[in-house]
Amino acid sequence: MVTGAFVEVPPAAQAAGGAADAPPAGARSRAPWRALWRRAVRLAPPYLFLAPALVLLVVWTYRPLAQTFYLSFFSWNLVPDVPMVPVGTANYERLLTTPDLADSVGLTFVVIVAMLPFTLVLPVVVALLTRRVRGRAAAAYRALIFAPMLVAPVAGAAVWQWLLDPSAGIVNTLLGTGTNWLNSVDTSLWAIIAITGWHVAGFAVLVVSAGLTGINPDYAAAAQVDGASRGQITRWVTLPLLSPTLAFLLLMTVLLSAQWTFPLIDTLTQGGPVGSTTTVYYLLWEYGFRSHDAGLAAAAGVLFFAGFMLVASLLARISDRLSRYDD
Amino acid sequence: MRKAVSRIRLQRLTRRFGSVTAVDAVSLDVADGEFLVLLGPSGCGKSTLLRMIAGLLAPTEGRVLLGDADITDVPPRRRDLAMVFQSYALYPHLSVARNIGFPLRARGWSRAAIREKVAEVAAALDLTELLDRRPRELSGGQRQRVALGRALVRDPGAFLMDEPLSNLDAALRAGTRAEISALHKRLGATVVYVTHDQVEAMTMATRIALLDKGRLEQVGTPAEVYDEPASVFVARFLGSPAMNLIDATVAATAAGLAARAREVELPLGIDAETPERPVVLGVRPEHLAIAGQGAEGGIRAVVEAVENLGSEEVAHCRAGEARVSVRGPRPLGLRDGDRVRLTARPEHLHLFDADSGRRLAWRPAPVTTPA
Repeated sequence: MVTGAFVEVPPAAQAAGGAADAPPAGARSRAPWRALWRRAVRLAPPYLFLAPALVLLVVWTYRPLAQTFYLSFFSWNLVPDVPMVPVGTANYERLLTTPDLADSVGLTFVVIVAMLPFTLVLPVVVALLTRRVRGRAAAAYRALIFAPMLVAPVAGAAVWQWLLDPSAGIVNTLLGTGTNWLNSVDTSLWAIIAITGWHVAGFAVLVVSAGLTGINPDYAAAAQVDGASRGQITRWVTLPLLSPTLAFLLLMTVLLSAQWTFPLIDTLTQGGPVGSTTTVYYLLWEYGFRSHDAGLAAAAGVLFFAGFMLVASLLARISDRLSRYDD
Repeated sequence: MRKAVSRIRLQRLTRRFGSVTAVDAVSLDVADGEFLVLLGPSGCGKSTLLRMIAGLLAPTEGRVLLGDADITDVPPRRRDLAMVFQSYALYPHLSVARNIGFPLRARGWSRAAIREKVAEVAAALDLTELLDRRPRELSGGQRQRVALGRALVRDPGAFLMDEPLSNLDAALRAGTRAEISALHKRLGATVVYVTHDQVEAMTMATRIALLDKGRLEQVGTPAEVYDEPASVFVARFLGSPAMNLIDATVAATAAGLAARAREVELPLGIDAETPERPVVLGVRPEHLAIAGQGAEGGIRAVVEAVENLGSEEVAHCRAGEARVSVRGPRPLGLRDGDRVRLTARPEHLHLFDADSGRRLAWRPAPVTTPA
């Protein structure tokens, strides 16, 4: 009688034998510096690619930031031969006790809120309405909308100054009014906001259009078949999917409105009349380069930096959460 | 529960994009409760056709009828059709429950009614556990079921499905195929299903409509289109490996009519005479038999490669200028370089016109007795 037993068939890798895996003897005894050099050469390229950007960031952003922080604890009038006098936190105390700061922060808040129609509402409406424009017409149309962005702010300001002229300006002629737009406390800020809005709205339309193009058309098609009306599709599908783009624009508006308005304020109103257009950046500029109080300006800069940082991180977190919608 | 009539009729439906005709005068009658598969290679116009039925694309010419109503100019949301997209198109910002409930929300149902109906559909599709998740947190198969759920939730007149299985892996696809078939049987609903996958078409369809370059090539049951392909295109498209197609000539021989080419002589089983004519001879790989060396006629071929499919083997051979493949149970007993003689039964031979590619059928002429 023949006897036997079932034996497990070994997997292929084991069957091939393990001798080949052992490193050849003597491979490690090579000169260690050569191995190190080789490692360095192998690891260097990514850092070399990063270097130009890092150098520029350090030289133009981080170093001045650190210097500003340092400067905020000194009294100095920007004259090179005059020594910097350490004053501790006196600059901050002075800054927080003047009404200027609160006023300018309030004005900046008004600017930001008033910019939102130009950077969010109007662009969404225009982008949604012009979605159906195709081909060459679309390109021409976009160029038209984007054109104001290409006009240098100072050049635009010169033309607007002429348009808003109280006696001969076309705005007053058309409205039949005699308002001194740029030189009265009631209207100066609104004039600045409207001009800035004209300037950046095209850019925002472009951003929203790009956001809309990025939405898979299948969603709208599915919603149509599912029985949604055009308004429902916009409210329930398109706008929620556009929210990362809108969050980005909101962030831009909050962080950059004060910067966008700066060249116009500087050329048209110089912060006036009676401080009615002195936003945070203009205040900072006035401290530094009008009053030559470098320490106070630096302290204001540090405070604004910290404030915007806080707002930015908050908004970034919100937009992060929205962005996760995208699949 | 279901509406009575959901027959879909297409009348000379045409869609042109510039100078390109994507769908060319397609007329089709989809009966109530039918599972019609639109089958064809990519770019054949099948998805365009489905989008025109859904109303997402306006036809250039022709009409779409649902039941007795002409819906050609009715917007998609008033068409009472549900569609499953290839990408599933699940709204990424909404939970599974809100995705499934979306069609009801658009129809203004109350929250409570929507919740109840969604729960019912979710239970049927085994989605109850997933109702609070977002689409991105689901696997491919789960997303597919949610898309199906969104279509099912409102008891539509008919279902349109655009390659719903193409994003699933092979194992899941086979399972989901069976699920959709079972669903169709249970609901008795009309389904128009687009695919380029012949296995899906053969296994699920009650009828298959084959499209090529925007034109309808053949409509028939899976057996009909497989056993009697109406054209060379259909013959080549269905079957794996594809039907062997050989340029040949039909000629009369002592044993009746036969198809002849270099190294090929296959009797057609018709005892008659006819003038010689060029044809395309078709025979499926599984219908070729390996004959003994002594046999007369058949295809004299040389084996070039043998493929192992597990249960079967396919031998790729050369006969004259033609390539011929043979499929049979493993082992076939063939090796590279072997000379073989292949035969086929006359009823398994297909003839197509050499120019038009259309199927040829034998019509005996009335017998004329000499006076």
